[in-house]
This record gives sequence, structure tokens and C-alpha cells, in this order.
Amino acid sequence: MSKLHTLALKYGAITAINLQNQLAYIWDAFHRAFFIVVVMFIFTQLWTAVFQAQGVAVINGLTLANTIWYFLVAEMIEMGKFRHDLTISEEVKDGSIAYTLVRPYNYLAYHFFNGLGETVVKMGILFVAGSLVCYYYAGPPTAQLSHLPAVFFSLILAILLDFCFLSMIGLLAFVTEDTGSFRLIYQKLIFILGGLLIPIDFLPDWLQTIARALPFAAITYAPAKLFVAFSWAEFGQLLTGQLVWLVLAGGLLYAQYRWAARRLLVNGG
Amino acid sequence: MKNELLFLRELIKLNLASAMEYRVSFISQIVGMFINNGIYFVFWLIFFDKFGAVRGYEIGDIYLLFGIVALGYGLAYMFAANTGPNLAYLIAQGRLDYYLVLPRRLLPHVIFSRMSVSTIGDVTFGLMAYLFTGRFHPIDIMLFLITAVLAGLVLVGFSIINGSLAFFLGNAQQLSQQANGAIVTFALYPHTLFTGWTRLFLFTVIPAGFVGGVPVEVVTGRNPLLLLGLVLVVIAIWSLATAVFYFGLRRYESGSAINVNV
Repeated sequence: MSKLHTLALKYGAITAINLQNQLAYIWDAFHRAFFIVVVMFIFTQLWTAVFQAQGVAVINGLTLANTIWYFLVAEMIEMGKFRHDLTISEEVKDGSIAYTLVRPYNYLAYHFFNGLGETVVKMGILFVAGSLVCYYYAGPPTAQLSHLPAVFFSLILAILLDFCFLSMIGLLAFVTEDTGSFRLIYQKLIFILGGLLIPIDFLPDWLQTIARALPFAAITYAPAKLFVAFSWAEFGQLLTGQLVWLVLAGGLLYAQYRWAARRLLVNGG
Repeated sequence: MKNELLFLRELIKLNLASAMEYRVSFISQIVGMFINNGIYFVFWLIFFDKFGAVRGYEIGDIYLLFGIVALGYGLAYMFAANTGPNLAYLIAQGRLDYYLVLPRRLLPHVIFSRMSVSTIGDVTFGLMAYLFTGRFHPIDIMLFLITAVLAGLVLVGFSIINGSLAFFLGNAQQLSQQANGAIVTFALYPHTLFTGWTRLFLFTVIPAGFVGGVPVEVVTGRNPLLLLGLVLVVIAIWSLATAVFYFGLRRYESGSAINVNV
């Protein structure tokens, strides 16, 4: 129990330090907020035009207000998540990972908790800034307070899953010089198959089936959909998907990390 | 004038040679940008397949819009990448000293001194997007190419203005980056979505309407008057850009830094 307590204190401190760093450079975060305001404004205009042109109040289970708030949560996740893959990739390339690995913490856990401090501030500011646009055009969100803990849990799993994939991309620096292209492809898959540019409910049936089976939906779509149209049935379904992918991605990451650490010893000395 | 153009040609050749020095990075940046644009293309395909036309825009118009904006953007920053945030950085860091001591026209020398490699992907993408429009009449092709160049000129002019804000504000890199991000983002959506004050905003403060919407109408309507109007807008934006840059230059303070430009 005391070991767990020590671990919580150690990684909690890492999160807290980066949280303070982010707050010290709060204006940078506000600059990012400008972009979410622009994006949300455009999405609002686009989807208002779509709902008007279709002459319906609900499309595939989502109202206009649902759709607008859905995009806010999806964009908040995409713009607010931490990009530690670049740091890992740089550390691998310049060899500094050798020094980082011997420090008294788990290398991957350090990156997760360090990123968490950053992401809390970023997502918070993005949500508040984007909410102003959403509230003006769509009114308040329909989410019930009692459902928010479940949505929040789904968000945490989404961040963890994204962390696993980005870590794997960062560690690819052991085998390839430029990991940027992998990251770009991963990000673009999230745009369509993760429901960032268009909710998965609006995709053609065949593509919906594919998207729902892949992990990208578990990162962006799941928390966003649960925020705007929560049902316990869908929560169970999406949560199962998130957990399955988390176990798979976590296992793969663990194996890759072990392999990378061994490779480092071979190359180091 | 001929002398200046020859100089710019040499500058561009040098930039390209330097970018191609690292072949793998060169190709991966181009392919990356192609994928980046392609995913938005996929989005619009799905979107129009599901919802049909939106505010007068159909999928063919989107192909054309993407073709013009991507080609214009690509041409703009392939040649003039030392604008926007890069220009703001040079000004704020006092790095204009290097250019000031050389016997060339300052503004063109500065802006054409950097090339953005990934924009070759935009140029390729823009040309390919145009193939989907099915507009192969020589007049349409000519109007497409002219409007894409004009759209690129609007982008560069706008980037000079927002980059030059560093003369007045000091650190204007992020502001400039956001202004450039906003103009391209707005330009890639049907301009008919925006009404009222927003529309006015998109034809003045952030002139995205002249990068996407107006060029599309010039091509689809084969409208010579609108084309003339677009040319006048380009002249106006470049005049303003030149005025803002040289007016700001009076406030420039040397960085006294020792720079080596290779």
C-alpha cells in the first residue's frame, strides 16, 4: 500500500509540475483557443446549412445542437492531447533516452503523467473557448450531470489509448529516422475513421462498420458521442471497444518498449 | 527589372537545390502534404454523397475549390515562404540585417529567400483535384491557372502584411501563424456558408473570399469582370503589403547579431 502511495506521489508530482509549466505559459494555450473558435464557427455554419437543407431536426440520431457539441468535444480531444511521440523520437535519435531510462521512474509512465498535466490545461481552455461558440449557436449541451463521470471515464481511456499509439510511433525511431509520416497517417485516420471531421453515425453503412471496429473511434468518437447522446447501452458498447483496444495496444507497446530497451543496450555501452 | 527577375530565378534555383539535398525528407514532406490534403478530399466526398448540395455548392465545386486553393497555396509558399510567421521571426530577431546590406530590392529578396518543400505536394494535389472537375475546355483550364496564381498572390500579400506586424508589435509570430491558418481554413469551405458580418470579415480583414470563393465563381461563370475585380484586389493587397512593410521598416531595430546565412 505504501509503495502504491509513493508511486502516486511521484507521478502526481510529475503531473503537477507540468501543470504549473502550462499555467506559466497560459497565453500560448489561449492562442490555441483562437483556432478552436475559428474551427467551431465554421463547423457551426456548415452543419446548420446541412440541417436546413435536409429539412429535418434529427440526422441519424443527432440533432443540430448534438452535432455542434459533438464536434467541440472531438476537436478538444484532438487539439488538446499531448504529442510526446516527438519527444520520444528525439530522445531516441540523439541518444538522450539512455540517460532518461536510468532515472528512478518508468520511462513511459513519466511521459504519460507529464503529458497529463499539459493536456488538462489545454483541454480545459479549448473546451471553455469553444463552448462560447457552441452555446451561442446551439444553446447549452444536453448532457446530464449524472452521466458526466461515465463520459469522463471514457475520455481518460481515450487519452490512454492515444498515448499507447503515439508512444509506439515515437519508439519507431529505433528503426526509422523519420517517424513524422507515421504520425501524420495516424492523425489523418482519426480525422475520418475517428469521427473528427464527420460523426461516424453520418458515414455510409459499410464505412461505419469498419470505423466502429477500429481503434480510432475509441479515441475521438466515443467520448464525444457519449457527451451529446448518452445511453447506457452505447456506453457499454463503446467502453468495451476502448478496453479491448487498450489491452491490445498496451500489450503491443509493452512488447515494443522491451524490445527497444534491449536494442538500446546493444547499441549503447 | 530583368536583372531582378534573373536574380529571383537564381534564388529559387538555389532554394530548390538546397531542399533536394535531403532526398528522403524532401519526398516524405511532399507525400505527407498530399495525404493531408487528400483526407479532406475524402471528407467532402463522403459529405456530398450523404447530404447532396449545400448552399449551392456541389462536389464539382469542391474539387475546383480545392484545386484553386491548393495550387495557389502551393505556388505561393513554394516560392515565397519567408512571409507570415517566418517574416515576423526575421523582424523580431533583427535578422533583416543580412538582407539590408545587400544591393537588392529588400522585400522580394527577403520573401523569396526561403522555399517550403511540402508545398510541392500542394501543387501536385491542386492539379490533380482539378482533373476531377471534368472542366477541360481551354478557357476553363486557363481561368483555373490564372485564378490559382491570383489566389496565391493574395495569400503572399496577406502573409507579408501579417508578418510585418512584427515591426509594430514585436513578437507577432503566433498572430501571423493564426492569421495564415484562418485564411486557408476559411478559404477551403464554401463561401456561401458565411453571411452578414462574417462575410464582410472574409472579404476584408481575413480575405479568404478572394482565395477560394471568388476564384471558383470566375471559373464556373467564366466571368471576365469578376476576374478583373480579382486582379484589382491583388494589386490593392500587394500595394498595402508593400506600404506596411516599408513603413514598418522605419521602426526596425538591428539585432546586432552575427548571422551566417547559407
